[in-house]
Amino acid sequence: MTVQTRSRRWPWVVMGLSLAVAFTLSMVSPADSVQGDLVRIMYVHVPAAWLAYTAFFVTFVGSLAYLLTKNLRWDRVAAASAEIGVYFTGLALALGMIWAKPTWGVWWTWDARLTLTFIMFFVYLGYLALRRTTDDPIARASRAAVLGVLGAIQIPIVHFSVVWWRTLHQPPSLIRPDGPAIQDPLMLTALIVGVVAFTIVYAALMVKRIELIHLEERRLAVERSIERPVAGEAVTVPQLGGAL
Amino acid sequence: MGHLEDGRRVENLPAEDHGLVAPLVVLDGVGVRIGSTQILRDVNLEINAGEVVGLFGSNGAGKTTALRLIATLIRPAEGSGTVLGADLTSPDRYDVRRRIGMIGHVPGIFPELTLAENLRYAARVAGVPTDRVETVLAAVGLAGAADRPAGASSHGMQRRAEFARELMIDRSLLLLDEPHSALDRDAVDLVEGLIERKAAEGGAVVVVSHDRDRINKIAHRTVELAGGTLS
Amino acid sequence: MLWITIPFGTIALLLVPLAIGTDAVLLREIGPGMYWVIVMLFGVLVSVGRSSMETLPQQDASALLGLDPAAGFVGRTVSSAILLMIFESVVGVVAVGLYDISIIGPLWLLATMLIVAIGLALLGTLTGAIVNSSSAGTALVPLLVAPLSVPLLLGATQTYDGLLGGYGIVSWVLLMVAVVLVVAIIGVVSSRPLQET
Repeated sequence: MTVQTRSRRWPWVVMGLSLAVAFTLSMVSPADSVQGDLVRIMYVHVPAAWLAYTAFFVTFVGSLAYLLTKNLRWDRVAAASAEIGVYFTGLALALGMIWAKPTWGVWWTWDARLTLTFIMFFVYLGYLALRRTTDDPIARASRAAVLGVLGAIQIPIVHFSVVWWRTLHQPPSLIRPDGPAIQDPLMLTALIVGVVAFTIVYAALMVKRIELIHLEERRLAVERSIERPVAGEAVTVPQLGGAL
Repeated sequence: MGHLEDGRRVENLPAEDHGLVAPLVVLDGVGVRIGSTQILRDVNLEINAGEVVGLFGSNGAGKTTALRLIATLIRPAEGSGTVLGADLTSPDRYDVRRRIGMIGHVPGIFPELTLAENLRYAARVAGVPTDRVETVLAAVGLAGAADRPAGASSHGMQRRAEFARELMIDRSLLLLDEPHSALDRDAVDLVEGLIERKAAEGGAVVVVSHDRDRINKIAHRTVELAGGTLS
Repeated sequence: MLWITIPFGTIALLLVPLAIGTDAVLLREIGPGMYWVIVMLFGVLVSVGRSSMETLPQQDASALLGLDPAAGFVGRTVSSAILLMIFESVVGVVAVGLYDISIIGPLWLLATMLIVAIGLALLGTLTGAIVNSSSAGTALVPLLVAPLSVPLLLGATQTYDGLLGGYGIVSWVLLMVAVVLVVAIIGVVSSRPLQET
């Protein structure tokens, strides 16, 4: 028996359009006077980093809402956001490193924001690992929710600690980890459009991912409604017969 | 639950009055899943005060799961149930756990502590005076081994210590999983003694066992667990 | 568990100079940091050991004695914290010896060790309860604890640096205390929901 449902198409359309607009603007905007075309990585890196934090915040909200309401809908939101968030976090980190190497000669600067993003990446991974290893849906929702709240509340504390740490230990060179200030209006527009486009991408992905989780749960419910033998029926009367 | 309107405790009622009070255990269409595996399905059961119920079933039928369900340690995935008046899905079940005793397959004993220390820990947590520990240990024949580490004691001795614990703590419901196993000839009468005492006090007992003859002698009724359900 | 983690932590302290060089000046500089990293990474195993030691029948027996899950959480945390203090003390003596670390502001150092011990114990016990009976089990706990213990790590190392360099440490101590309070509250509040499943 298959579960038929009309899969929403509009998220893909909206995503495609936003990405097309953002891509066009990023290509059309001028190259940087210092970095040249390398600056275009910023148009993906900055939105990705913005989304990493947004997705994390949504996971926190979903986790808290689940703990308060026990409604599994919130667990789906938290889980979907964490999955999407981990990709954006990884993307932000990778792009940041790719941008850093030719610019400053090092793959990694111990910038407060970068370090915090890397730490967050591990918190996400742990959250997803926990979900993956818990079978029972109610247990998974509860445990993941507690971890989601714990991780999210700890993140501002981690943020403060890392920022204070960097303030005390300024690097000797003149590297400004924020990168050059963006003054050209077209570049600024491209950046803002990029952030908006990626937010739309995130929202579209959330819609599809939650739809997928929902379908998966419906499939499981259908499977369970089919009378299957209970575990105990696998044990039968022993029959030695000619075995000995 | 536990008190009638005039203040009398249920457990102190004479046996003939037990039918007047609400059942201690009510399970209505309960299903239990562990992970995604269905263990119990459509379980219906009612146990009244003063009853001794024998629970039989083949290996892997889910008897231990059924006991843990009645002990409020597992949430039902389907159906509903109440134990000692507390709904199995509500926080109330934490309040009644203190009145449920269970002696499982595997002893719930801390091996690093001595037998006496295990009982003192149980007494302290349950709010029972610790001076009862010596008395109950003597009652089960462990007075001489009280200071032996539980981990160095045999399975049978640990079993006896658990019986001592249940003698010490006032329970309305007693759940026994294969109680006769591991007990020697002298100790095996402990089982019947504890069961009879509990039933006379107005509590209820559920006994899982493969020893049908022994159980048939002391149980008011028996139920069979097969296909995940009780009959 | 301490019979394993203390030697393990000590060996780690020994391995580092073998790998990066035995220059006394270098070792004195990285010593305190190395010590705290080892406390964070290996210390968490101490509280993992505590949590994983309880079998299901033991948990059932405690539950049926009417043990409040929050009380169980606090009890396990306290016992882990005590073990962690012992771990920190023994490994600390070795670190002072191998890396020639100066002892400055001993009372502050002791306070730092205590706060870190409690913080790590809380994180370990809470995450132990979160992963309880999942298929990855206790192997997942160090992965979950490590990123969340960064404020403790930074707080501890910056406190020592501050004591050496004569600059303010109160904000770092308060930061660590904030971590302890936050995790303690979350741990106590979530102890029942976590046991329910």
